[in-house]
Amino acid sequence: MSTDREHEITRAFVSIANSMADGADVVDLLSGLTSDCARLLDIASAGLLLADGHGVLHVLAASSERTRDLEIFQLQRDEGPCLDCFHTGQQVSVNDLSQETDRWPQFVAAATAAGFAAVHALPMRLRGTTFGALNLFGDKTGALAADDLDLAQALAHVASIALVTDKAASDKDAINQQLQTALTSRVAIEQAKGILAQLGNLDMDQAFAVLRRYARDHNARLTEVAKQLVSRELVAERLLDHSMTRRGRETTFKG
Amino acid sequence: MVDVNHALRSGPPAAVVDRDFHSGGAATDSVAELRASLGGAMDSGDPTMSMADRLCRACVDLLDVDGAAVSLMLDGSSQGTFGSSDGLSRQLDEFQFTFGEGPCMDAVREGPVFAANIADGAEIRWPAFVGSAVGLGVGAVFALPISLANSNVGALDLYRHAPGPLLGNSLLGGLMAADLAALPLLDMISAEAELATLGEDEPAWKQLASLARVEVYQATGMVMVQLGVGPAEALARLRAHAFAQGLTASQVAWSIVERELSLESDTERTDPGGRHS
Repeated sequence: MSTDREHEITRAFVSIANSMADGADVVDLLSGLTSDCARLLDIASAGLLLADGHGVLHVLAASSERTRDLEIFQLQRDEGPCLDCFHTGQQVSVNDLSQETDRWPQFVAAATAAGFAAVHALPMRLRGTTFGALNLFGDKTGALAADDLDLAQALAHVASIALVTDKAASDKDAINQQLQTALTSRVAIEQAKGILAQLGNLDMDQAFAVLRRYARDHNARLTEVAKQLVSRELVAERLLDHSMTRRGRETTFKG
Repeated sequence: MVDVNHALRSGPPAAVVDRDFHSGGAATDSVAELRASLGGAMDSGDPTMSMADRLCRACVDLLDVDGAAVSLMLDGSSQGTFGSSDGLSRQLDEFQFTFGEGPCMDAVREGPVFAANIADGAEIRWPAFVGSAVGLGVGAVFALPISLANSNVGALDLYRHAPGPLLGNSLLGGLMAADLAALPLLDMISAEAELATLGEDEPAWKQLASLARVEVYQATGMVMVQLGVGPAEALARLRAHAFAQGLTASQVAWSIVERELSLESDTERTDPGGRHS
């Protein structure tokens, strides 16, 4: 079992490294990072916040689309451990949220209502600049193993490098530009998810899976496919059909 | 001589703006002031002027330009000038629609346009427009795209009598003003959809931030399908619905994502005999 986990961890790093090499889609990369964290660590879900040029944080990726995750994130813009982590550039680890009602009254209430009991926020940082935070949510109280925290921070760090690597990012300007591109991509992807969700009667998780499946099978960038959907150069039915066909084929093989 | 603005055309403006500021002293303060002043011009000011007019006037007051105009260019909807700092700017902007060429059209298609000297005969992109503009004493024209829901729907045109690039605070302020101009454009599109928006108490920058949320993006995609419209119009309809119901854009977006609300059925309910599009 632990060997499986080691394989998984190695695979996670390799996949980030590969995406650096071939200039993969930033949103794809960061969505992968959050789902890797959720799978590899003893947590319930993970989310990633990135700041735009004005220092305003946006949710760039989350391991699940559950409404409650997002609602928590919205609240965090006003207060919460992830915001503190971003502002200080330091890890913020809360093993028992119920002890922190004075510190973050709104956030603790919302997080508790959503079934979360512990939060760990890790800075996304490069060359002294903190530009976001990776947030791990646990559904039970207690410390995260030191190894797990280190692993998450290492993944966050490698992803930070990947974010800014394909430009000669020696300065803050280039990092800002990369982040702006990532945020723009995110808008297109969320809009595309909305289109697919509406047309295919899917939830947002399923819609994202359809989008991602199509992009991968056509060796295309997630953002490009999303933009084509939004501009109607690509019709949504094609993606939905593709997804149906694939699922049908897989079922046939199994049966 | 290196034409800074020309070099900008091929690169991301934000990066260059930042670089300008790193070399200048108390940049952060002046940037914050500029941001507040432009936002303030939208939030309050001469009530007889439209929001877009006030923004254009603020550009002339705060930036190194002599005129400003906002135009809307949305496929299948109205096109034209609908905000300006003065009559000359309006006329210049309208020339572009008359001639079917000009910096604002290019800005919508390709990104920021910086024509720092149109009087020297080297500007060949828009012969008819340049002829008329030079005739009116214009030496430099800049056009910055206005983006709604990730797509360019219009442009902020900036004019100056003296040739020369748009630099530093003037460039950054222009980009900020182009961000802000999204709000009156949204109102304009909503009015097209016969869902005119009411007055809004929230500051302009805050309104813009409230539209830049994950749930609003997702709901915009859903409304695109529900109403068969493009992203900008979908966003305008979502926002108009929020105003009409006294809700925030985020609340309406959640209802749409959770499938408690469909703007399609909403339209039928509020406008039983009406047929949109």
